[in-house]
Amino acid sequence: MTTAGRTQSFEGRLARFRAVNAWWIRLACYALSILLLLGVWQALGHSFGVLFVPFTTTMSRLWDMLQSGPLLPGLAVSAKLYGVTLAINILVGVTLGLLLARSKLIAAAFEPYIYILYATPTISLVPFVSVMFGFEFGSRVLVSVLISIFPILIGVTEGARSIPRQHLDVAAIFGSNERQLWRDVIVPYVTPYAMSGIKQSIALSMVGTLVAEFFLNPDGLAAVLLQGTTVVDSGWVLAVTIFICAIAVVLVGVGELIERYLVRWRHTAVG
Amino acid sequence: MATYSSRIEAVPAARWTWGRGLITRERLAPVVAGAVLLVIWEVWVRAQLPDFVARPSGIVMAIPSTIATAEFWSGVAATLGAILEGVAIGSVAGILIGVSMGRVREFDWFMSTYIRALYALPLIALVPIIILWVGYQPAARLVIVVISVFLPVAVTTADGTRAISKEYLDVGKMFGARTRNIWFGIALPSATPFIVAGIELGFARGITNAIAVEILASVNGMGMSVFTKSNELNENASLVYVLCLAIFAVGIRTLMIRFRHWLAPWYHR
Repeated sequence: MTTAGRTQSFEGRLARFRAVNAWWIRLACYALSILLLLGVWQALGHSFGVLFVPFTTTMSRLWDMLQSGPLLPGLAVSAKLYGVTLAINILVGVTLGLLLARSKLIAAAFEPYIYILYATPTISLVPFVSVMFGFEFGSRVLVSVLISIFPILIGVTEGARSIPRQHLDVAAIFGSNERQLWRDVIVPYVTPYAMSGIKQSIALSMVGTLVAEFFLNPDGLAAVLLQGTTVVDSGWVLAVTIFICAIAVVLVGVGELIERYLVRWRHTAVG
Repeated sequence: MATYSSRIEAVPAARWTWGRGLITRERLAPVVAGAVLLVIWEVWVRAQLPDFVARPSGIVMAIPSTIATAEFWSGVAATLGAILEGVAIGSVAGILIGVSMGRVREFDWFMSTYIRALYALPLIALVPIIILWVGYQPAARLVIVVISVFLPVAVTTADGTRAISKEYLDVGKMFGARTRNIWFGIALPSATPFIVAGIELGFARGITNAIAVEILASVNGMGMSVFTKSNELNENASLVYVLCLAIFAVGIRTLMIRFRHWLAPWYHR
């Protein structure tokens, strides 16, 4: 191995170096990208003035806003809408999904409209929703759900439709009743599909929450964000954007944890 | 749970044999369901809500007068033009960055901090800062569409080009392929289904975010018209714009799915 390493070409040695030190190089790449971002931000911030404040200013603004500003009250408002949205997505999405998988006729009747509703930019329906249902919490939930329910709905439908015939036959042969069939065959089989839909919905519900808050009488974090735009306070807007970004990264991380857990669970369930 | 019987299985569709089986229950069902939904909407609005609220008959009546205006066509041109332009720029940039990320591990690591953070962030949250920087102008719309398309395309291209099977690479090397041949001759073509999926996702997000910018920055376009018509209590005209947006969005999605199946019939979803 060592003699071979000595006689290798430059390219070979480079490849070996990259393979051996992969972990360190990876760390260095992460560090470099973050440092570069902060450096460029800081430099641009000092030269642009009001429209683009430096990183350090943004962070101190963020700290101030967390201490005494509107950020945490706004977060509380948004979190409530988010929680209700996600809960409805899971409950209604799973139920409707199973219904669509169960009944061919209902599926044939409503699937084209679900597809159209899914493809239509929900944001354009906001005025219609507000005229029909007002600007209150219910309307916000409706808009938010319309944006984020589809991954669960579609995932569950496809999952339940793809249950292999053999599983159902075996269950029938062993004389399982309705409850046993659901407990032992349908629920375990559909769960991974539902969970991967929920993972996507965790991220999308945040989009839905923000859209609902932006366009139906501003409220929550979106209102805080818009407040900064109207007074052209870039420090304010950047601080709130970073705050939202941090929340989003955490939520996506939670979704990925669920998926990772699920993959393991799937392996053990099969093997 | 009484509605579920004990089996989820493919029951052969019971066909009503009218018109030599052309009219099946499955084909009839969406028509009936759609008609019922429209009638419920119409009756409910007539019975319960004020006259300006949109209802199906009103929307149909409003189509000619809305389409005949110059405002409509300038809005359509502005919004669709910006979306198509943004998709073109974002896709090319996304493919170039994505293939570099897929083929060079270090570049992947370097970019992943930015791309992961931006990918997680609902892009609508970026709209205020972009408006602040770019101004209350159409350019803000273009910028957000470019970002909306760039991110998914870069991610899917990187995913698609990262894992090429070793046989392809070996054959390529045997025929003396250079790096550029491997990148654009082997990696990129094998990643096309991924790339198309990324563009499809970007299109959907781009449309939404373009409308968001139009409303928040008062930029002329279809999304803007949806809201202004509604504010003028001209709900039917507002819904005509929504209808056009929906046709555009559904058309694009259907086209992209067809394209993907045509491009790579072996690749599902």
